[in-house]
Amino acid sequence: MKKLLTIIKREYVTRIRTKGFIIGTILMPVFILGVTIVPAVIAVMTSEEPKSIAVIDFTQEVYDGLQRELDRTNDAGERIYLLKRMIVKPENLEPVKQNLTEEVNEDKFFGFIIIPKDVFEGNEVEFYAKNVSNFQQNEEIQNAASRVIREIRIRRAGLDTKLVEEITREVGLKTFKIGPGGEKKEERGQTFIIAYLLVFFLYMAMILYGTFVMRAVIEDKSSRVVELLVSSVNPFKLMAGKIFGVGAVGLTQFIIWALTAALIMAYSGALLGMFGLDATGKNLPIIDLDMAILAYFVLFFLLGYILYATMYAAVGAMVNAEQEAQQLVTPLIVLLIVPMIMITYIIGNPHTTISVVFSMIPFFAPMIMFTRIAVDMPPLPEILLSVAILIGSILLFIFLVAKIFRVGILMYGKRPTLPEVLRWLRQS
Amino acid sequence: MQTLSLNHVHKSFGKVQAVKNLTLSIEEGTIFGLLGPNGAGKTTTIRMIMQIIMPDSGDIRLFEQPNSPELLEKVGYLPEERGLYGKMKVGEQILFFAELKNIAGREAEKRARQWLGRFQMTDVWDKKLEELSKGNQQKIQFIVSILHEPRLVILDEPFSGLDPVNAQLIKDIMLEMKEAGCSIIFSTHQMDQVERLCDAICLIDKGEAVLQGDLREIKRRFGRDTVILEYDGENNFFENLDYVKKVNDYGNYVEIHLTDGKRAQDLLKSALQRVQVLKFELVEPTLNEIFIRTVTQE
Repeated sequence: MKKLLTIIKREYVTRIRTKGFIIGTILMPVFILGVTIVPAVIAVMTSEEPKSIAVIDFTQEVYDGLQRELDRTNDAGERIYLLKRMIVKPENLEPVKQNLTEEVNEDKFFGFIIIPKDVFEGNEVEFYAKNVSNFQQNEEIQNAASRVIREIRIRRAGLDTKLVEEITREVGLKTFKIGPGGEKKEERGQTFIIAYLLVFFLYMAMILYGTFVMRAVIEDKSSRVVELLVSSVNPFKLMAGKIFGVGAVGLTQFIIWALTAALIMAYSGALLGMFGLDATGKNLPIIDLDMAILAYFVLFFLLGYILYATMYAAVGAMVNAEQEAQQLVTPLIVLLIVPMIMITYIIGNPHTTISVVFSMIPFFAPMIMFTRIAVDMPPLPEILLSVAILIGSILLFIFLVAKIFRVGILMYGKRPTLPEVLRWLRQS
Repeated sequence: MQTLSLNHVHKSFGKVQAVKNLTLSIEEGTIFGLLGPNGAGKTTTIRMIMQIIMPDSGDIRLFEQPNSPELLEKVGYLPEERGLYGKMKVGEQILFFAELKNIAGREAEKRARQWLGRFQMTDVWDKKLEELSKGNQQKIQFIVSILHEPRLVILDEPFSGLDPVNAQLIKDIMLEMKEAGCSIIFSTHQMDQVERLCDAICLIDKGEAVLQGDLREIKRRFGRDTVILEYDGENNFFENLDYVKKVNDYGNYVEIHLTDGKRAQDLLKSALQRVQVLKFELVEPTLNEIFIRTVTQE
């Protein structure tokens, strides 16, 4: 036991001190920060500059309404849409368009809008600009024009605009998630996002930390330290030491990230404030995680990690160099990708036979059972069965892999074939 | 007391019999030469002693007790394939391996610094191992194998890559340890080293012990049948003599193996007739010669 701790300690300490760990651990929160804060900052920033837009209104009726509808100011209090009306005779349209195009290119105008005479009969409003891929802006212009033109149409038909507006108002759909205790929470798709993020994290963690374990084994093997190590500790303890040492590193990293994420979430408003921005009204993804789900996440993270780390350790023991490992790692990655492919289906259908069956297969259980738990808590016996199968398989795998490990770590030269590996299993 | 004994130990890998019916014993405070050509089964034997692999049959006793993991805390091992962590600092590395042998904390550090001092490497504590020269890495590896004051040390080619000064230092340390009652298994292909250091040997060939026992006794058994001859004159005058079995020409002198030690007088007569003899000495065969004869004979 003491020696196991010595191995774990070395593995943990040397790994934690590497540049790779420090950089990786710092970069991830920066990435989280990036995906949460930056879009909000950008969203606020982009509305900053005022745009002068020329409007050619052949109906003579729409311009004033458009001016009214697009009356929006930025944080500095400036009008964003500076509309300039242009009176143009229909026969002069082409030369004027030529002119305006040049002016847009010279940045005298941001763009120009043409409202055709028959717009009330169904023709479309035209918008010309150097950049027309800003959907938010396009939508804003479209909505403004639509409202104005619709209003005029209604008025022309002799109806009361207010009344029509009231009658045709859209009906919203609010969604509420019912928890096991009967509590109801307003839900705006967070369940999907949370489940997806956490499962993706499981997937990444297993590949990443599994590879770490494999590398640790290959390192011992290629530096020939292994001979000295197994003369002091038995190979089983050595393998366990690698797995737990790297696992502890992973857990450390995860805790750092989780705390950073929590801090960012909690103080995102204040952070935006630091940039001189007002965050109220902006939709920052506020994730409020159920503690039970977090506990299950840690449970399935640990079980899944041990299962895959054991298999990665076996691969490490079988090869001489990392390049050789590629081929042997592929089946493991395939096993990890299957649940990723299924996740959308599982989120939508957490209780179908397929979902239940896949959550019982040990290779998929960590991710699929966890997804089911995150989306809609399955019956406890199902969860327990899945965990039991997972633990049973882990024990079986450790037993088998320890044998491969025992023989493999002392084998150099040619990579073993499958029959050879089977012989190792029988022999040791 | 017997530090180590192997009794009818067998080990095979698939169809290959790596070690066949090996029986040997090592007395406390002796240096034991484990010899044999490449692939003879030396490493397999050492690995079985270190419990890295298990024998198929037969038993191994350490310190007169059945081999068990706890006993290995009193065994040191310098593998032929050197292996330490290149990226780890020297000091931490020594302490890590000491901890695996159940020596930890201040005591381990004190001993580590003492040994580094003896090898005049006090300044390497905080250096990464890979920054050291091959020879210095080798010394660290040696320190790792003896820091826990083992009662049995297995040294596989301990002198390879060392300059004469450091080789002498390690030889001195080996003799000191022997004085202190530690047994040493010394595996090497350098027969002159074995001849100088070992009390007893075991020569393994194709997994079997073909020659073993007290070194002096073995040499006596082979008898004085070898002539060391230095001469001037006609080269290879002895070539056609029927009692000359084999000749090793070393340039400055020749080593002539006779079919029978008694024929040495005939050789001397013949030499006196044909060349000018500078040196003529009747000796026991060297261990090198014994090795070659034993291994190639069968």
